[in-house]
Amino acid sequence: MRKVWCVAWTEYCNAVRSRAFIIGLLALPVIICISVGLQYVGAKQRDISDRKFAMVDRSGELFSVVAAKVRERNARQVFERGEQGSGPQVRPAFIPERVEPGAKTDADLEAELSERVKRKELSGFIFVGTNLFETGTNVAPRFAWHAQSHTDNELADWLERTIAEEVRRVRFERAGVDRAVISRLTSVTPMRRLGLGSVDSATGKVVKAKEQNRIATMAVPVGFMVMLYMMVMSAAPGLLNTVLEEKMQKISEVLLSSVTPFQLMLGKLLGSVLLSFTLSALYMGSAVTLLLKAGMLGLIPPATFFWFVIFQVLALLMFGAIFSAVGAACSEIKDAQNLMFPVMMIVMLPYFAFMPVVQSPNSTFSVVFSLFPPATPMLMLMRISIPPGPPVWQIALGFVLTTAFTLGCVWAAGKIFRIGLLSQGQAPSFAKLVKWVLSK
Amino acid sequence: MPGGLQPRDRPRVVLPGMIAPTEPSAGRALAVRLSNVTKTFGSHTAVDDLSLDVPAGSVYGFIGPNGSGKTTTLRMILHIFLPDRGDVEVLGGRSTRAASDRIGYLPEERGLYKKMTVRRVLAYYAALKGMNSRDTRDAIARWLAKMGLEKWADKKVETLSKGMAQKIQFVSAVIAKPRLLILDEPFSGLDPVNLEVLRAAILEQRQEGTTVIFSTHDMSMAEQMCDAIFMIYKGRKVLDGTLASIQERFGAGTIRVRSSGGVEALKGIEGVELVRDLGQVQELRCKGDAQEFLKVLTGRARVQLFEVAKPSLHDIFIRIASPSAEEVRRA
Repeated sequence: MRKVWCVAWTEYCNAVRSRAFIIGLLALPVIICISVGLQYVGAKQRDISDRKFAMVDRSGELFSVVAAKVRERNARQVFERGEQGSGPQVRPAFIPERVEPGAKTDADLEAELSERVKRKELSGFIFVGTNLFETGTNVAPRFAWHAQSHTDNELADWLERTIAEEVRRVRFERAGVDRAVISRLTSVTPMRRLGLGSVDSATGKVVKAKEQNRIATMAVPVGFMVMLYMMVMSAAPGLLNTVLEEKMQKISEVLLSSVTPFQLMLGKLLGSVLLSFTLSALYMGSAVTLLLKAGMLGLIPPATFFWFVIFQVLALLMFGAIFSAVGAACSEIKDAQNLMFPVMMIVMLPYFAFMPVVQSPNSTFSVVFSLFPPATPMLMLMRISIPPGPPVWQIALGFVLTTAFTLGCVWAAGKIFRIGLLSQGQAPSFAKLVKWVLSK
Repeated sequence: MPGGLQPRDRPRVVLPGMIAPTEPSAGRALAVRLSNVTKTFGSHTAVDDLSLDVPAGSVYGFIGPNGSGKTTTLRMILHIFLPDRGDVEVLGGRSTRAASDRIGYLPEERGLYKKMTVRRVLAYYAALKGMNSRDTRDAIARWLAKMGLEKWADKKVETLSKGMAQKIQFVSAVIAKPRLLILDEPFSGLDPVNLEVLRAAILEQRQEGTTVIFSTHDMSMAEQMCDAIFMIYKGRKVLDGTLASIQERFGAGTIRVRSSGGVEALKGIEGVELVRDLGQVQELRCKGDAQEFLKVLTGRARVQLFEVAKPSLHDIFIRIASPSAEEVRRA
């Protein structure tokens, strides 16, 4: 075991001293900061140039209303209101243009106005049909917005809201209904989403249920899964590279003159576990500190942390063994990449299934999928982090199955590792790998 | 060597048409004993019924053409490969794994972590051999000073020249004071200065009682350094003994000649076979009387050198492993 720890410690030191580790360690917080910063800057630096639009109003009643609402909006929303009156411009001004259809057909108008949009004279144009105020008609009234791009929807959304509002107002008026009454009768107090109440065992007082943050409750299981996935992907694939490099550099030959192949592989796996623990201590520690400061630590069931560590070790040993075996079996990076594809598909499996599991953690789909060993570490952890969590027997079964599967992976990978490490030439086929595993 | 192996007393295998092995180990304890060892890879037999005794404290040269089974044999001694048949005994025990801490190994080229510093690589390899950190620290300082590489201790391996890297590789093999040192092509690609440094270091190891086995394609180096030479060809042993005993067996009729007629003057002389044309000197094998051959040659050209000599190891190697020798054996 002394030699195994010697290999593990060297692997760990090599990894944490590498430039890639430092860059990788800083990458996550830096990426988050950059992302938030870009969103902030992007919001500040939005395009506030005028949005000129044409309106073909065959109803004859809506353009004047829209024009009035535009004036009102431009006066209120285009400039930030400072203490001394108007501040800097923060939103684009809308500029409507009435287009008289005359004898022209809609198709002619559409072609003509489209050309103006292409020439950048207009941001877009809107058609309003004659029968927009009518209800129960068989023919749907024309109500359409045309633009070259539909990614910037501020103007289109505003027009849709404003015209729909006016149409509803006119309809109520024509039907002789007081809109205020309708509004009062249809308004219902929004339902609150609360957790569970409890009784304080020390004081005997009832502790009222607290408000639940829907986003936060969703973020916890997803966050744990992503964190575990990151821990695995930060440490396990590196094993492929180190094993392959050692093989190509004939280092493995020197090592095998001192340790057995299994000792070598086990040392490497333990090194990757140490590396992963370092990363999770840093990231998880930061996340817990932030949650503690925000008073949101209670959102995480305490058992989740325990199972995070257990499943982290199992996932690393499982995937690390597979990656090591792939590295040992190949003699070139190109060959390793080909063998990596099916492995990556298995690693990615929980990602494909996580949404239905979060939405319905106790469905048959979630139970079955979370008991499938390659997916168990991430999906079972996810289920554990959603109160009240899965039944204990499911966690126990998942743990036993995953442990057995991991031991199987380590055993099989050990066989491939032993034979592959000293083999040269073309990468073995899948059938050959199976043969190696079954060899004595 | 307490509890060491003793030389076998059974007769050695002599292959048809090959050279009978000699007995270099008589009366001495053994560092390595291979007994009828066979190793196959699929349908290819890499090592075939090989028996070998390496006396403790000797320098044993492994020679043979590429792909003849040298590295496979070395790997079986190192317990990296297990033989399909036969026994491998190293440093007094059957389990060579148990002896691994007392074996130093230098693979052919490379074998070092490029991104690690020289000191860390050496410390790692020493730790794997069971050395404690204080002894390792002292040994690293001593060896680097001996190799003239003290200033490179904290430099990354990737910054070293090939010669420096080869010397560090050697240090990594000897740092834990092995009893058996296995070197695969240790002189490959070295300049004469570094070659001499390494040669001296290897001989120093022998003086300290370490058994050295090294494979090489450099026949003159094997002649100069080895107490005994072992040649493997197509997985089978074809030579095993001291250089003198081998030369004795191959020595008959070897003549070195330099004449004004060069190689042209030798053509057509009955009973003479040109073994090697070295340019100015030709190496010949004479089946008949050498004096008669000299008379004929002096009639054809002015003879500047005429030497009845022992064959070089190079010559013997060629005689065994050249395609023409193979044809003769088949015939």
